[in-house]
Amino acid sequence: MAFSAAKGKLLSVIGDEDTCVGFLLGGVGEINKNRHPNFMVVDKNTAVSEIEDCFKRFIKRDDIDIILINQNIAELIRHVIDGHTQPIPAVLEIPSKDHPYDATKDSILRRAKGMFNPDDFLRST
Amino acid sequence: MTKDVDIDKICTTLDKLTLDTLTLMEEHVQLKLNLENSMNDGILNLAKTRYIMGHNNISSLQLPAEDSSEIEAIAVIHSEENEKLGYRMHDLEVIKKSESNSKIQDPLKWFGVLVPQNLHIAQNRFKQALIWIGEIANIQSRLNYNCNKLEGLRQLKNDAMKTE
Repeated sequence: MAFSAAKGKLLSVIGDEDTCVGFLLGGVGEINKNRHPNFMVVDKNTAVSEIEDCFKRFIKRDDIDIILINQNIAELIRHVIDGHTQPIPAVLEIPSKDHPYDATKDSILRRAKGMFNPDDFLRST
Repeated sequence: MTKDVDIDKICTTLDKLTLDTLTLMEEHVQLKLNLENSMNDGILNLAKTRYIMGHNNISSLQLPAEDSSEIEAIAVIHSEENEKLGYRMHDLEVIKKSESNSKIQDPLKWFGVLVPQNLHIAQNRFKQALIWIGEIANIQSRLNYNCNKLEGLRQLKNDAMKTE
């Protein structure tokens, strides 16, 4: 597919060490002119407030189009993620080494599932 | 009479959207499982590389930090709102190294000059994972669009039934 001359936007990563090392190896990492990286390595000593701040910072950046976040980390800041309703940047919850993918925790699937409330399908006569 | 027709039309559209949403949900879960497989393969190869090179040689310490020089991303996303369809489409682009773009560097070089084959495999697996991510982003934006539309139509149907 042909791409326009416009510069593409970034994918950012908030995840454990292996997730960050892996995706940066894949080529998503960037350090911009202001020395701001587009990734954050979360370990067991990282405070939840730090993750929250980083997530909010990524949302505000207009050069980021997709935020990848490990599902277990997303669980820690679920209220912030659920509060983000804008289409850009898209927040994608990805599995991690220690936490396999759980569809029941996925924000978008929970939203879609919420659409299927049986009461809504009844047509009152 | 016309109201009946209207409600029938709304119900038919709702049915179609609901079916479409269910299909998308299934596709979404399947793609996430594919992503998980690619990532697990990648992580396994990272672990093998650690075994060969030593634990501290494949860690976040090798990643560029705030005090390192400017680095440009190789994998970027082009996205645009598709006006016909109404949702955003994402396309992944992997930039090739060229003379005009000297800031681009193969991330493998962060881990040394002669790196084990496993690190190359891990890189390929994560590149594959990025392709899955592009597809998941597209499905997610379609799901969001469908959910918004479903909400709107439900409201419309309720209003129409109240006035009946």
